[in-house]
Amino acid sequence: MLKYIAKRLLSSLLTLFIIIVVVFVLLRQMPIEGYFDNFDKLDAKQVDAKLTQLGLKDPIYKQLWSFFKNLFNGDLGLSSRYSKDTPITTLIANKAPLSIYMGLMSLAISLALGIPLGAAMARSKSGFWDKFGTVFIVFINAVPAAVYYIFIQMYGTDAMRIPMTFSRDNWLTWILPVVSMSLGSIASNAMWLRRYMLDEMNKDYVRLARAKGVSSRKLMMKHIFRNAFVPMIQYIPASILYTVSGSIYIESLYGIPGMGGLLVDVIGRQDNPMVQALVMIYSSIGIIGLLLGDLLMAVLDPRISFVKKDGAR
Amino acid sequence: MSETILSVRNLDLKFDLRGRTLHAIRDVSLDVYKGESLAIVGESGSGKSVFTKCFMGLNDINGRITGGEILYGGMNLAAFKTEKEWLRIRGREIAMVMQDPMTSLNPLKTVGAQILEAIRLHQSELDKAQAHKAMLDILSDVGISEPEKRARQYPHEFSGGMRQRVVIAIAVACKPKILICDEPTTALDVTIQAQILKLIKDLVREHDMTAIYITHDLGVVANVAQRIAVMYGGDIVEIGTCEEIFYDPRHPYTWALLSSLPQLGIKGEKLFSIQGTPPNLFTEIKGDAFAPRNPYALKIDYEKRPPFFEITPTHKARTWLLDPRAPKIEPPEAVRKLSRMEALSNG
Repeated sequence: MLKYIAKRLLSSLLTLFIIIVVVFVLLRQMPIEGYFDNFDKLDAKQVDAKLTQLGLKDPIYKQLWSFFKNLFNGDLGLSSRYSKDTPITTLIANKAPLSIYMGLMSLAISLALGIPLGAAMARSKSGFWDKFGTVFIVFINAVPAAVYYIFIQMYGTDAMRIPMTFSRDNWLTWILPVVSMSLGSIASNAMWLRRYMLDEMNKDYVRLARAKGVSSRKLMMKHIFRNAFVPMIQYIPASILYTVSGSIYIESLYGIPGMGGLLVDVIGRQDNPMVQALVMIYSSIGIIGLLLGDLLMAVLDPRISFVKKDGAR
Repeated sequence: MSETILSVRNLDLKFDLRGRTLHAIRDVSLDVYKGESLAIVGESGSGKSVFTKCFMGLNDINGRITGGEILYGGMNLAAFKTEKEWLRIRGREIAMVMQDPMTSLNPLKTVGAQILEAIRLHQSELDKAQAHKAMLDILSDVGISEPEKRARQYPHEFSGGMRQRVVIAIAVACKPKILICDEPTTALDVTIQAQILKLIKDLVREHDMTAIYITHDLGVVANVAQRIAVMYGGDIVEIGTCEEIFYDPRHPYTWALLSSLPQLGIKGEKLFSIQGTPPNLFTEIKGDAFAPRNPYALKIDYEKRPPFFEITPTHKARTWLLDPRAPKIEPPEAVRKLSRMEALSNG
C-alpha cells in the first residue's frame, strides 16, 4: 500500500511538473503587446526595458529555473499586472477562503440532497420520486445554468427581502449563491446514484440475498446502496477542485469576491506569474483529489488491490 | 412415496411485458414428496426456473399468478401478497442455489459475512460467537479448507467451484426444508460439476432436505434425481421416476430430448436435434404445445390439450398417443436403444 502511494505520488509530481513546464512555455509564446496597456505609444527602448524588468528577455530555461528556485523557497512571486507588485500568496489568501467555504457548503448540500434523492429514485423506480427526480434532472441539465441562476437571484432575493449583492456578514445572502451552486451537482449525484443502484439491483447477488430471506429494506441499505456508493465516492475528492476554483458566473452575479474567473482574468492580462501559480495550485488539488479518490475506492472495494497478495487471483 | 411437502395445484402464471401477456406457466400441477430428489428438466424458456421461483415469490413484479395454488405447510403460497409473508418462507423453509456462482455473491462483503447474514436471519437463537462458529462449521461442511482464513476473504479470491460451495453454504445455513438448485453446475467446469453435485447430494441427505433440481442436462438428472418432471412450453408433459423417464419414456418430447443426447447418437451420423422452435408463449397455445414440432402429432394434438394418462402410479404423460384410440407408435431408435441397455443391465 505505502509503496503504491509513493509510486502514485511520484507520478503525480511528474505530471505536475509537465503541466507547469508546458504552461510556462506556452505563456512565453504570447504576443508581447499583451504585456502593455499602451503598447502603441511606447518606443522600442521602453518596451525593451519593461520586458527586461518582467524577466522575459532571459532564455526560457533560465526563467524556468528561477521559477522553480523561488517555488522551493515558498515564493510564488509577485503579480505583474493583475494587481501590480502584490505577492501572489496574499492575493490568493484574500480570495480563496470565500470560494472554498461556499464550495464546501454546496458540496455538502449536494451530497445531503443528491444521495437521498438518487436512492429514493432507484427504490421507487417509475414511481413518484423517480418521476420527480427525472423531471428535476432533465430540467437542470437542459436549461442553461445561467438562466435558472438569474431566476433564483431575481425571485429569491425578492422573496427573502435581501439585497442582491453578497455580504460576508449577512448569512442570508449566502443562501442563494450556495443553493445555485449545488443544484447541478445534486442532479448529477442523484442521476449517477440512481443509475448505479439500478445496476446493482439487477445483479445475481441481490437475487441470492433475497432468496436467502433478506428483507427489501435491508437489501437496499446493506447491499445495493453500499455497493452503488463505491463508484461515486471516487469522484468526491476530485470535485473539491471545483470548490476552490469557484464559479465565475455565480460570483459575478452576486458580487462575491472569490476565485471564480480569476484564472481567465489573469490569462487575459498576461500576468504570467499569476497564471503559473494558479495553474500549479489547481492542478495540484486536482491531482491530489484523483489520488485520494483512488485510495478511498481501494479501501472500500477489496477487488482493487494495490499489491498482488500471494496466492490470490 | 412418503408424504407431500409441497403441492402445486393448477398453477397459472402470466407476465405482463409492454402491454403483451406472456403465459409462462400453464395450468401446472405437481406434488413434491418429503425427502425426495426431484429434477425438472426442459429447454431454455420452458418455464422451469419461473415455476420454482413461484415457490419463493422471486419472480419479477410483472409476473402474476393468475390461478391455482401452491400448498406448503398449511399455507397457500400462491395467495401471498406482502413481503412479510414471503420472508417466512424464503431461506427459512425453501432456499435456493443459483446458477452462476461468479455473480451470486456480493463482491464487497467477505464470504464469512454473507454466510453469517443467513445464519443470523434464520438461526436467531444463536449468539454472536455461536453464529460465528456455525458459519465456520458450514464452510468446512461444504469442503472449504482453512475456514477461519477463507471466511475473511472476498468472493474474488475464490475460484468458480469454491464460490458455488459458498453459495451452497449460504443456502444450507438457512436450514431450509426444501432446497431448490437452479442449474447448479451449468456455469462450472466439467471437472468440478461432479464434485458439486455430490456435495449437494450429501448435504441434502445429511440435513434431511427435499431437493428440487432444475436443469437441462440429462446427465445431471441421472446422477441426482429419483423423479423427473419434463417441462415444455410452460407445462409438465411427463413425470415419472428416473428409470421410467429414461427407459420407458412416453411423451414424444421426452423421446426427442433423449434422442438428442450425444451419448446415444450413432457414430458418423448427424446428431439428432428437435426441428422447429419452442412455442411462442405470447400467443395462447391450443392443444399440445409440442404438436408443431412433433413428427408423431395427431390431429387432436392441435385441438385439445391432452390429459395426463397414467402409465404406472408414479408415471404420467400428457400425450394423446397414450389414448387407447391412438395408433400404436414405436419410439425412436435411440430411445429403444436406451431401453435395451436397461434390459441388459437388469438381466
